[in-house]
Amino acid sequence: MDVLIDCYGVTERLAGGPAHALRLPAGASIADALAALAARSVDLARVLPGCACAIGDAIVPRTRALAGGERIALLPPVSGG
Amino acid sequence: MRLAGTPLDLDALIEETLDPRSGALVVFSGTVRNHHEGRDVVTLSYSAYAPLAEKLIREIELETVARFGVHHCRVVHRTGALGIGEAAIYAVVRAAHRREAFAAAQYAVDRVKHAVPIWKEEFYADGGSAFVSGCCIAHEEKAA
Repeated sequence: MDVLIDCYGVTERLAGGPAHALRLPAGASIADALAALAARSVDLARVLPGCACAIGDAIVPRTRALAGGERIALLPPVSGG
Repeated sequence: MRLAGTPLDLDALIEETLDPRSGALVVFSGTVRNHHEGRDVVTLSYSAYAPLAEKLIREIELETVARFGVHHCRVVHRTGALGIGEAAIYAVVRAAHRREAFAAAQYAVDRVKHAVPIWKEEFYADGGSAFVSGCCIAHEEKAA
């Protein structure tokens, strides 16, 4: 199945762009998606442990199973205000 | 809207929260400063993950009203490119008395800074730039 990772903040720079398509086996979880992403960039892999993931308007745990076509927002540590 | 890509309108927030029960109005404005950790900042840019940021700021407003017993709490945060001195955030609180109004405004701003998916990238006089290190929100994960 194909999913899309939308990178925010510093992860967009480290990943080399805002959106990244991933092809994952059926039944893959958020954790699997992050592992696939980590394999693409050492610098990105370093910040992933501190990132949250969101789908729509909710933060989701790494154990959450993915469905084909979903978009996952990758949210590094926040610095608003 | 709790995020705005254009200069923030404080007058609108003041007007929107007018309340004859309130004897205290506290406004906090976070403004862009020209330095960070010894480097000269010339401009900065805020970006946000809007679906979650909008929802969380609204939740923080409601939570602040309930927790401090204030009449109103409104927060708006700027996105996009900002110059030195521009307002990045306003928190407006109205309450019967100043004590709870000050406390509520501080709480709301702290929560926004720590929990809402907004990122600050600074651009320096020496030509460099960096995302400011921030607060991890992964721990706010809840069972889906």
